Amino acid sequence: MASGKSVFKVEGGKLLKISLEHSGCAISSVKIAGDFFLHPEEAVGLIEEGLEGTPLDENTLKNKIEAIVKENSLQLFGFAPADLARAIMMAVKQ
Amino acid sequence: MTRFRLLLTGENSAARNMAIDEAVMWCCPKPGIPTVRFYSWKPPAVSIGYFQQIEEEVDLEECKKQGVDVVRRITGGGAVFHEKELTYSFACGEESGLVSENILESYKKICNSIVLGLGALGLKAEFAPLNDIVVGGKKISGNAQTRRGGVVLQHGTIILGVDVGKMFLLLRVPNEKLKGKMIEDVKQRVTSAEQQLGRKVPFEEAAAAMKKGFEENFGVKLEEGELTAVEEGMAKMAEERRFAYSGWNYCRRTSPRGCILRDLPAE
Repeated sequence: MASGKSVFKVEGGKLLKISLEHSGCAISSVKIAGDFFLHPEEAVGLIEEGLEGTPLDENTLKNKIEAIVKENSLQLFGFAPADLARAIMMAVKQ
Repeated sequence: MTRFRLLLTGENSAARNMAIDEAVMWCCPKPGIPTVRFYSWKPPAVSIGYFQQIEEEVDLEECKKQGVDVVRRITGGGAVFHEKELTYSFACGEESGLVSENILESYKKICNSIVLGLGALGLKAEFAPLNDIVVGGKKISGNAQTRRGGVVLQHGTIILGVDVGKMFLLLRVPNEKLKGKMIEDVKQRVTSAEQQLGRKVPFEEAAAAMKKGFEENFGVKLEEGELTAVEEGMAKMAEERRFAYSGWNYCRRTSPRGCILRDLPAE
């Protein structure tokens, strides 16, 4: 089990701070923090849980996040699914 | 002419301030009377956004040393040092038709009250999406909104005076080595009513101007009122079980005694 953190400033958006635990190829657990907005707020837990077990591939992560957002009618402000996927990958590399 | 209720709750602790906003939100009669509230913070306080990690954003020891309150908001956004400012909150039913269903549009609509209020103070302000208001390109107001139980709650600051040096004694930054540069950046990007007008702006003067701003923006009259007994009860509970509770402020948990707040479950 490896762990990592990242801080990613979205261009023209907000800050994403990721704490990640992973097996080397998939997410074990992820915590998403930052100064962004998400409606409804509690859904951050849905994203975090929904990403458990997801392979560590930026495109796969982006698609998974997009699917969670769509399924639950979430609204993201200050970042997009692609930004979150990128921030998570940055945490892997550290 | 339609009426909004105006609450002038004065200076309060951070926990009490956030608890009143939450109580007003849960009690906001649908589609009854919307509420505008003006308040300030005593002692000064740092509030952090719903999604932030307290230790990463705040120097808790320094806050303790300086007697500064720290509280987690129920709204997203960043860490804010509340000292010389007027804080407002606005609550209305989503079905009141007063603000758009579209969240971005509704920020703009509510923030326009502040833009007009700053105009009444003699400042040419503009809304800067997503959630800021600027004068001469510099931030003078930050705003944050949440929607729960069919109610829109937005609160925000109007910076009357700013001490960036003091602010950064209390706030942490991602890279300590770059702190000096960040302080210079923020000094360039943030302003205050005092800086812009070249004189001190008392809270009461700012409140009178913001009252005008809300009245003009919504075409209503703001009539001073009080918290209802139910709101007062809810505020006490929200203060005790959430905003004065370390489990909430540190980990976003609500008190094990449970929470009245049905749509905001413990995590």
